[in-house]
Amino acid sequence: MSKKYWFFLLLIAAAFLSSCSEKRQPSIPENISFAATVNIKDMTISFVDLAKKELVAEWIMEKPYTGALILPDNDSILLYGKQLKTADLYSLKGGKLLDSWETGEGIVNGILLDTNEIAFADQNINKIRLFNLNGEEEKQIETERDPLTLLESGEENKLFVLSFNHEKLGIIDLESKAKSGEFTIHPSAAGAWLNEKSGEIWIGGHGEGIEIEQNIHVYDAETGELKKKIPAASMPINFLGQANYVYVLSHGSNMLYKLNESGEETASVSIAANPFEMAFVNNTLLVAGYDSNDLHILEQENLKTLKNIKVGEGPFKIVIRESVK
Amino acid sequence: MKFLTNSLAKKMWLTVTAAIIITILYSYFLSYLFYEKIYVENVRGSLLTEGRSLASEYQGGALTEDLREKIDWYNSKSETEVFIVSNPRELSACLPFEIDYQTLIGEAEREELLKGSPVEKLGYEKRFDRKIMGVIIPLLDDNRLQGIIYLYVPLAKISEITQDFAYLWIAAAMIFTVISILLGTMLVKKLTKPLLDMKDAAEHVSKGHYDIHLNIDSKDEIGQLANAFNHMSSSIQKEDEKKKDFLANVSHELRTPISYVKGYSEALISEMVKSEDDRKKYLQLILRESRRMERLVGDLLDLSRLESDEYKLEKMPLPLGQLIEDAIEKYKPILHEKGLDLHYHLDPDVIINGDEGRIEQVIQNIIDNSIRYTAKGRISIRLYQEKDKCLIDIEDTGIGISEEHLSKIKQRFYRVNKGRTRSDGGTGLGLAIAEKLVKIHQGELTVLSELNKGTTVKIMLPLFEIS
Repeated sequence: MSKKYWFFLLLIAAAFLSSCSEKRQPSIPENISFAATVNIKDMTISFVDLAKKELVAEWIMEKPYTGALILPDNDSILLYGKQLKTADLYSLKGGKLLDSWETGEGIVNGILLDTNEIAFADQNINKIRLFNLNGEEEKQIETERDPLTLLESGEENKLFVLSFNHEKLGIIDLESKAKSGEFTIHPSAAGAWLNEKSGEIWIGGHGEGIEIEQNIHVYDAETGELKKKIPAASMPINFLGQANYVYVLSHGSNMLYKLNESGEETASVSIAANPFEMAFVNNTLLVAGYDSNDLHILEQENLKTLKNIKVGEGPFKIVIRESVK
Repeated sequence: MKFLTNSLAKKMWLTVTAAIIITILYSYFLSYLFYEKIYVENVRGSLLTEGRSLASEYQGGALTEDLREKIDWYNSKSETEVFIVSNPRELSACLPFEIDYQTLIGEAEREELLKGSPVEKLGYEKRFDRKIMGVIIPLLDDNRLQGIIYLYVPLAKISEITQDFAYLWIAAAMIFTVISILLGTMLVKKLTKPLLDMKDAAEHVSKGHYDIHLNIDSKDEIGQLANAFNHMSSSIQKEDEKKKDFLANVSHELRTPISYVKGYSEALISEMVKSEDDRKKYLQLILRESRRMERLVGDLLDLSRLESDEYKLEKMPLPLGQLIEDAIEKYKPILHEKGLDLHYHLDPDVIINGDEGRIEQVIQNIIDNSIRYTAKGRISIRLYQEKDKCLIDIEDTGIGISEEHLSKIKQRFYRVNKGRTRSDGGTGLGLAIAEKLVKIHQGELTVLSELNKGTTVKIMLPLFEIS
């Protein structure tokens, strides 16, 4: 074998070994507050410093993550995706993989409950799965098929689960960790907001088939009775409530509505391209444009855009971490 | 299969036919492919132009009812199917949610459209349940995909056109095939007929009839072969005649001495000869004729050995002048006896690479002839060099040979005067043997002569090369 050949073999071996070794991502300092977007199209995570309002880091991932959670220690970020066999825990400061939780494929959504447990919606086995912070699975709860949107009611200690394709809303009692009820809702439901004061649950959606959803459906959280429809064209799929106002994001028309609790519009703005996700931070509102690959920072009061920051391609999920110090 | 390949004509016919059919099929598929490609390319181009010009009507923002009406109106007038879509669902805007719905455009296409580039479709589309050639033009408002204009033509229309083309082609191809196979058959027949003729002729020759002549006027390889065949058969014929002549000559040459021997020995046995002198004379005659026969048989043996390829020369460098001088020495008594003068001028430096005995035989045969046919006058011998050759001229003032006989003089048993017997003692083979020997020494023997004036024999031999 010639020397040249050996050299190539060595190169290949080196490349192989380095790809196997643990990849280190840029470190995210503890002292900054950031909003991170999980970008589907280019498999990256973009970190935006909220104080400076600029992109500070980008993690290039090797797996198609679709969602993320920041754990209470404020340094661990848990990444999951429907096609992935594991949910991966990364250290933000260390920029490296800490742990992989054997969840199996099918995880489409996850939220951190008040009890410091993590609830995952698993569409493969159609169950809600509760994990503790060490990654140990505590309970699997039967629910409707194709669970997607998860909504926690802290007061009533309940978890609302919206089925995406099967027109059902399931209610899980977090005390007993078992299904306690269900009622029928409209098809292709996505996004919900719980008004605990009035016992209403607002649910959006994409619309069925060729139909485009134009309204928010308001149901009685106890009985499941459809109380009214609030127009919010088109395809309202994300809700955030704060201080007597509900912010509604409609991706079909790229509209952001600010409604009062009775459903009257107090402000609206056309924003981004195909926005799916929004988040609150301090007095601002963040909206991610899935097609425009950007993160808009708006004033909560009047929906005025403060800044528009380019992020990775296809931002689908926003997670916020407040600075530790 | 054997039936098809047992004759050259059939093989050629098969080859020609196969070549024609393959060519036609190949050109059909190729032109069909080009035709379709050009046609589809053309349709694609016009769809793109149409779509772009329609898209220029879009002014930004949400799609207006006015624009929809314009597109609908255009659709009703145009051959192309045109429609406008703004439903985000159809445009795969909800894609990450994996909605159970067959969208009009896919994820990758949406990405292309978001970049502002049109998307082309060719093939089966589930939505229309048919094969189409389509173009999708994005309607972009900044980076928002507000809608698309979808233009398509069913591929059936295209294949209808190519079908017409195919029918026309098949008809033309069939006519062409028939004509070219007919022409091919004729051509094959024309090509192979001379071969058949030749086969018959060869059979004729093998039966011993050499008088055949093929009448083939073509100048190609087959014509050349026929010419060669004619040449061969006439050569065989000539050779056959020569053989017959030779046998006749040999028997004739042998018959004379045999009849002498027979007659004289009979006379002796029957005691017709009384005197001792006559008896002695008869016995001497018998001895002479026996010697002649011995010489004749010896020469014939030499000749047949020379003609076979096995004849080996024992070559060595020879001083030719010395060799000739030694030979002349032997003839001096007989020359003196006949009263002939001898002149010779020999270059002593000439050295050749040759077989001593054989070269001597050549010189002897020529000098024998000169002495035999020269009654008075002289014989002169010259040896000289010319470039890388040497030449021996043996000239006499004998009876000479007329022009008509000169060309045949080197043939075996050839006699200028047919009526003459071999009273001169020659076998009629000397010159033939000499010429053969010179030839196998890479030399040349020529005879120049004038009737009643004399004969000159020129022998050219290559000089010995000192390498």
